[in-house]
Amino acid sequence: MIEATNIRAGYGDGADILTGISLTANRREIVTILGPNGCGKSTLLKTIAGYVRPRAGTITFDGTDVASVPIHEKVRHHKVGYVPQTDNVFGTLSVSENIMLGARLLGRQEKEKRFDALMRQYPALASKKNRKASALSGGERQILSLSRALMAGPEILLLDEPSAGLSPLMMHEVFDAIAVIRDTENLCILMVEQNAFEALGIADRAYVLSLGQVALTASARDLLDDPAMRKLYLGAEIEPAA
Amino acid sequence: MFDFFIHVASIACLYGVLALSLNLQAGFTGLVNFGLIALFGCGTYGAALASGMGWHPLAGLPAGLAMAALLALFYARLGRKLSSDYWGIATLSIAEILRISITNEQALTGGAQGISGLPLLFADLKPYDGVPRLALYALVLVLAWFICQRIVKSAFGLAMKLMREEPQLARSLGYDLDAIRRTVMLISGAIAAFAGFLYAHYLTFVGPDQLMSPETFLIWSMVIIGGIGNNWGVVAGAIVMQFAMAYVPFVKDALDLPTDFVAAARLVIVGGGLLAFLLWRPKGLFPEKVGGSRGR
Repeated sequence: MIEATNIRAGYGDGADILTGISLTANRREIVTILGPNGCGKSTLLKTIAGYVRPRAGTITFDGTDVASVPIHEKVRHHKVGYVPQTDNVFGTLSVSENIMLGARLLGRQEKEKRFDALMRQYPALASKKNRKASALSGGERQILSLSRALMAGPEILLLDEPSAGLSPLMMHEVFDAIAVIRDTENLCILMVEQNAFEALGIADRAYVLSLGQVALTASARDLLDDPAMRKLYLGAEIEPAA
Repeated sequence: MFDFFIHVASIACLYGVLALSLNLQAGFTGLVNFGLIALFGCGTYGAALASGMGWHPLAGLPAGLAMAALLALFYARLGRKLSSDYWGIATLSIAEILRISITNEQALTGGAQGISGLPLLFADLKPYDGVPRLALYALVLVLAWFICQRIVKSAFGLAMKLMREEPQLARSLGYDLDAIRRTVMLISGAIAAFAGFLYAHYLTFVGPDQLMSPETFLIWSMVIIGGIGNNWGVVAGAIVMQFAMAYVPFVKDALDLPTDFVAAARLVIVGGGLLAFLLWRPKGLFPEKVGGSRGR
């Protein structure tokens, strides 16, 4: 589904932040990207999403080259949903207006159908659908943001640190919702996370980045028990994989 | 006194049109344009060029609109590379470069002396020509207000507001921010140039002093004081500010102050008004109504 090969990317005229990363992600799979602060996790997601244009390498979605396709075209033409880490709702709009924005390219009947389905799936949002999004808690905003991305019927969902700033309870709720989406929507989910052990709890596979390269890649189950990853998260550095 | 009132009201209408143009950019789309006066100048110099070339006066309108479209596209193009604050500085710089170029160019623009002798609208109706002119300007203001209202209430208007509030989030929903910026600049540039065209035929004179950067900040003060993001508000701001500026000489006479007082007081009204409202009433006299009516 997603195939990125030898990606090099950075911002402006600055040095490369990603220095030759390759990854794949398939349907019905959650692939999580882990690593310490500054290793390039968010840059990798933004490059795949189309916010950052890669300086080298290829990115394909189902075999179609999308390396230089900007985010707004990926959303419109390549069925991509992107959920940013922060500033992920329009605070002055209501919950239902926010959700409907996700389906703006769909017909009216399809919109109504999906909206009703989402309200059944997330009753906490349904009870607040007429409230301003700015009045929601951090976790509710994440659920709202996820719901809005789902409204468009994406095939690829890109999540940038969905647990950022959430309490442990809300974090579990958000991760549970992501796992349900994977199981019910037949999506390919690529997720950047700081909370490595929580993310590995729902992910199928993971890539661990270090200094702009892939340091480790394995199934989530294997990584959970990997001493090298534990070492990485305790602050020690490890050598990138050959 | 009646003629003076008609004059001030006429100018207020034209500035109201300019305030609506800036409100489309800054108020609804978050495009902080400090070079709006250059788009207005495209309209004034379009009229002047048509007059100077001996064309029909109406030929100045497409000429002004074409120049404004080119400048608007250039502004929009710059916005692709620059963040909001740097873009604002760039637009101010470009407006100043254009003004200085016009001042130093003689053959087409008349240099610092400008171009005079443009035909006055309804001049043959003297001494009652002021009233139909005011009616025309008021009609243009209402038309501009109606167009701006239709735009901001449309799906495109929602896209403009989303771009203003969370541009990166708007992109992630499939909105092409470059296209939105380009369209807004073209529409608002055309509105500003149209106001400039009428202004030139009202004063019958066009000169580079009309394009000084304080003029841009006068329009900004109208938008901020009236209520940024509210089309009613910015028109009210234009009327309030224009009448406040016009009645400064009467205050000078009443208090027997020196002549220098008038120019200084006008700058204080613009700068002080902007500062006071930004500090104590940032949403202006008539705040924008936030939140949409879409959804369920």
